[in-house]
This record gives sequence, structure tokens and C-alpha cells, in this order.
Amino acid sequence: MATETIEVEGHIIDSLILAKILDTILAAGADYQILDVSIGRTNADASRAVLQVDALDDDALAALIEELQVHGANRVGDRDAVLEPCDQDGVLPAGFYSTTNLPTEVRVEGRWLPVVNPEMDCGLVVTGDVVRTVPMHRVTRGDQVVVGGEGVRVQAPSKSRAAGSFEFMASEVSSEKPKALLVAQVADRLRACRARGGRILAVCGPAVIHTGAAPDIARLVRDGWIDVLFAGNGFATHDIESNVLGTSLGVSVDAGLPVEHGHSNHLRVINEVRRWGSIEAAVNGGYITGGVMYECVRKPVPFVLGGSIRDDGPLPDVEFDVVAAADAMREHIAGVEVALMLASTLHGIATGNILPAGVETFCVDINHAVLTKLADRGSHQALGIVTDVGLFMRDLSNALE
Amino acid sequence: MCPPEHFTVLYEINPWMHREVAVDPDRARLQWEGLVALLRDAGAEIDLVDPHAEWPDMVFTANAGIVNGRQFVPSHFRNPERQGETPIFAAWFDEREYQIDRLPDHLDHEGAGEALPFGDVLVSAYRFRTDAASHAELSRLTGAPVRSIELVDERYYHLDITFCPLDDRRALVVPEAWDDYGRRVMAELVPEPLALEPDEAAVFSANSVVIGRNIVMPSCSPRVGRQLEAWGFEVAVADVGEFLKAGGGVRCLTLALDVVLRRGGQGPPAPT
Repeated sequence: MATETIEVEGHIIDSLILAKILDTILAAGADYQILDVSIGRTNADASRAVLQVDALDDDALAALIEELQVHGANRVGDRDAVLEPCDQDGVLPAGFYSTTNLPTEVRVEGRWLPVVNPEMDCGLVVTGDVVRTVPMHRVTRGDQVVVGGEGVRVQAPSKSRAAGSFEFMASEVSSEKPKALLVAQVADRLRACRARGGRILAVCGPAVIHTGAAPDIARLVRDGWIDVLFAGNGFATHDIESNVLGTSLGVSVDAGLPVEHGHSNHLRVINEVRRWGSIEAAVNGGYITGGVMYECVRKPVPFVLGGSIRDDGPLPDVEFDVVAAADAMREHIAGVEVALMLASTLHGIATGNILPAGVETFCVDINHAVLTKLADRGSHQALGIVTDVGLFMRDLSNALE
Repeated sequence: MCPPEHFTVLYEINPWMHREVAVDPDRARLQWEGLVALLRDAGAEIDLVDPHAEWPDMVFTANAGIVNGRQFVPSHFRNPERQGETPIFAAWFDEREYQIDRLPDHLDHEGAGEALPFGDVLVSAYRFRTDAASHAELSRLTGAPVRSIELVDERYYHLDITFCPLDDRRALVVPEAWDDYGRRVMAELVPEPLALEPDEAAVFSANSVVIGRNIVMPSCSPRVGRQLEAWGFEVAVADVGEFLKAGGGVRCLTLALDVVLRRGGQGPPAPT
């Protein structure tokens, strides 16, 4: 059974247009329900009817709707989007349509055009027959921007996105699930993504290093399981610190004990990398000989390090203009189908903001607040796995071996 | 009206047009001038719009748009061959300080050729050249209640070759050109119709101009002539044979400027 809602307006009672439409629906072997009808008070007043049309299948429905369109009936919402030009760089027209991260289509000159790069909290810019999300700061004067909600349709998120396989999506946060099962299922999703040519994104917080997961993630990078890495100054610093000096924020990653004068270790490492000029130069010069950043440089896997106000140093690779950092991240998300957010609040949420809803997102954190924050900001696709990231990554890397 | 300097049949966008049937420009000019004279005799004043070489069908000014007092709603032509006429006609009305109100871009409507006032309503046709959905918009713009009539015979592709209002009660009608629903609506609307026979319809008898009790027709059978005279009309026949080659008759060659549509009730209720 296929269903569509149509509307017809005008002097449809006295012109017998409504009668003709209803007769046409029945003659086609389809059925209708009148959802709403407002009839003019006099024969001079116009009327409007909203009908639900049920046909046997999609083809029959499409043919019938086409026939009804001749008589002035239209699918509900079948109006072109209203476009307004930006009159200033970096400023959207008032009343701009604010996007979600869901698959979205925009009606332009009667045709529904898919939004190329769904991203939440952006404007929609129409250029010819291409519709893109553009964040406010990147619009330029003259860009044609969708205003109001007319001519925009959003596909509701569907719970079961991949045929049958992903059962644990049923609960949003799973702190009380057998972790071995979760690990196996995440590993399956990563393999499936690989197999269909999708890209995998890892977003890492410094706790990944503190909990001893760096060697496992380094292995995943080396074995080609990660295609792009987002992190901040802290993650990269502690990764390098643990490789060069054997500590993470001054704590021995082997013994788990603070080392003497360890509190300054990360500053010394940052200082030396600054002397080299970049992480890549420090790797090529032999200063960094292992770890996640090392593997990223060797593979190579592109990475974006986004800065924040409390960063030490920072490392020379850190982009400190946060707007530019988010733009750099945008450059790398095309084709990403799975995102692993590993013990990262700041960069995890920043990434959630720019990912389309269709990206399978696994958020591994000991604190379920991160997942709540993600969901509250619209990243409903994120599945939270509440556990220690060090243990989880060890199991995941073993499962992928 | 628009002088036929550039009138010719360059393309075929209705069943009457055949590029191999050449228009005789001198004859066309003479016929058009003859029509102007007959219309003036019948009491009309004629204003002219300048012809454009690119748009040969501009001569059929009935399709320029809808005139309603000092309001003008330009047409939105279905065929690209005529779409260039719209800005020219709109500019003509703009220069004369008409209020120009436009239909939405995605809806076609071919002007007074598709919409004729009768009684309290504006009868408008759809299918071949005009979108039914434009009727609600037209009603919104003009305030006139519309009766929508579906055309079913491609030879009668505009309303004004199937329907000619004569006065408040009477009209020439070609019911065969309308679907069943349209016939019922028109039967309800027109108390005293004069239905044309197929051969009368095919020579565009309905495509006539009525000025008071005078009617200028492209052709008139004795039967129709007798009935019109019995109703008190004075019939004049204008030979517009050259223009019939393009599928247009007397009415098509004119756009009435003295039309004031009756404002009906309310427009369609706002979407909820």
C-alpha cells in the first residue's frame, strides 16, 4: 500500500473539481480519506481540501497523483523553497532555515534536490541545482539562502538503519550490557564500513592516552582501520609524551605512578616539537618513534588538532582559530560512515555538530554525561558505551586483528 | 491589439498550425485592418501595442494576461515560443500605471484567452495551456470567484474558442470541448446557452468579440445568426482566415481593457 497526502484549493466545490478528484481516485482503484476540508461560506468563497490517497503500490500512486495534478491537486508541501540573497558576508538572511543533521531535500523549480552535506545548525545555500549546508560564517554576499520552512523536507531518522543487524541501537546508553558483545558488534560495524568503502573517523580525548589505549589505537591506524583523526592539543601532546618520555601528564604509563618532575614532561615535549616545527618533522627527524601521531604521519592518516583556551604550548600543528579548526574538520568528513568518539567531550561534541545523522557514531566514555550532551545537541545517532576507554580499545583492537 | 507586421506561422504549438501553410502577410494586414474597422464601428476604441519580430504570436493579445480594472495579471505561457511576450505586455501595462500582479512562476495561465467573466464569476479553463492550480492563485490576486473548466479536445486548446459570453444570461458554448464536469458546471452557470454545432465551432464562431449588442465574429452560420438576431444582437463577420492558420480568431486578436471582475467572497483559507 502506498499513501500520499494531497491538497487542492480554489472554487473546487462549484467547479466540481473536488468531485472529479474523488471520482478519479476511485476510478483508479485507489481510496481516499478526507483529512481536512474547509468549504467557503458562499459560492463565491474558495475552499480547500486535504486528502490522503491510498493506492495499491508506489507506481499506481505516482500515476494517480500525476493525473490529479492536472486538476490542480498537489502533494502537501509541494511548494518551492523561498530563497533570499545574503546581503552581507558571514550573515544569513533573517528567517533563514536552520538545518538539522538529517537527510534533507529542498524543492527548487519544482524539483526536490538532496542537500549534499547534511550538517546541523547551518543555512542552506542553493547554487543552480546544488544545495549545500553552509555555516553562517562562510556565507558570502549574494548567496541564495533558503528562508522559512516551505519547500524543505527532512527525512525522519529511522531506528533500524542497517537491515536487522544493529540490535543494540535499541537502547541509547548501554552501561549495563556485556561489553564483549558490544565490542564484537562495533568491530562488525567497522568491518562492514570497510567492506563498502566507507571511511572511519576517530575522535580522541587525552584520557585515551592516560588509560593506556594509545598502542591499541596506534595499531588500528597502522592496520588501516582509521581514515581520519580529530583531537586536541592534549591528546597529541600526551601521545608524544608517552612515546618520548614514557609518561602521560607526568604519570608513568607502565607503572601508573607519578615520576619525579613529571608535571613538566608534557611542556618539554611540546617545546621540542615546536623546535622541530611540526609533528611530521619531529617524526621524520626521529624525535617521535611511535604512538598514534607517529602512525598517522607514517600512514599517512590526516588529522586535525583543534585548540582550546586552556591548552599548553601549543603543539605547532594545533589550529587555534576554532572556527578554522571546525572548517578543517568539515574538509575531512566526506565519506565518513562510522565515527568513534573516544573519551572526548569537547572534540566529540564539535564533531557531532558537523556530522550528518547517517554516520554511525559510537561514543565510548566512562561518563555517560558526554552522550547526554551529544544527544541534547542533536546527535541522536550516537550510541553511548559507558566503559573505560583503555579496556574497550584493547578488546576492540584484538577483535579486529 | 497588436499589428500583424511580424505575424507568421514559424512553429506548431496547436493542431491548427502547419508551417507548410504560408501566411500571406499582405492579406493578414488587410484582414487585421478590416477587423479594427469593424470593432471601431461596433463602438470599440483601439489601443495598440508595438509588435516584435521575435514574437509572431503577439498579435493574439487575448493571451497577454488578465485585465481587472487597473490591475493586470501577466500570463505565464506554457510554450517557450510565446514566453517572451510576457515582459513586453507587462511593460505596456506598467507604463500605463496598471498595478501588475504576477502568478507564481511554476504555474501556467494564458490570460484572457483562458478566462472570461460571466455573471458573478470568472470562468477559466485548464489542461492544454493552463494549470488548474493557477485558478486559485488568480482568484487570490483578483478577488474573483473562478469556475474551473477542463478542456478535452486539443483543437480547442483555449477557453475563448469554446465559450463566448454574450450578456448576463446568454453565451455561445462548445460543450464537446469540455469534460463532463465542466459541462455540468456550465449548464448550471449559463441560463440560455447557444450550443455551436461541430462545424460552427471548428470555424471559431465562439472566438468572437461582443461590444454591447454588437458581435464581431470570424464566421457565423445562418442558424447562429438568426438566434443572435432574435436575442437582439447585431452580427458583423470579419474575415480573419490568415489568423485561423495559427489557431486564432477575432477574440484572440483582442484584449478587452474595460473588464472589471466582480469581487467574490474570500480567497482560499490560509494553509494550516
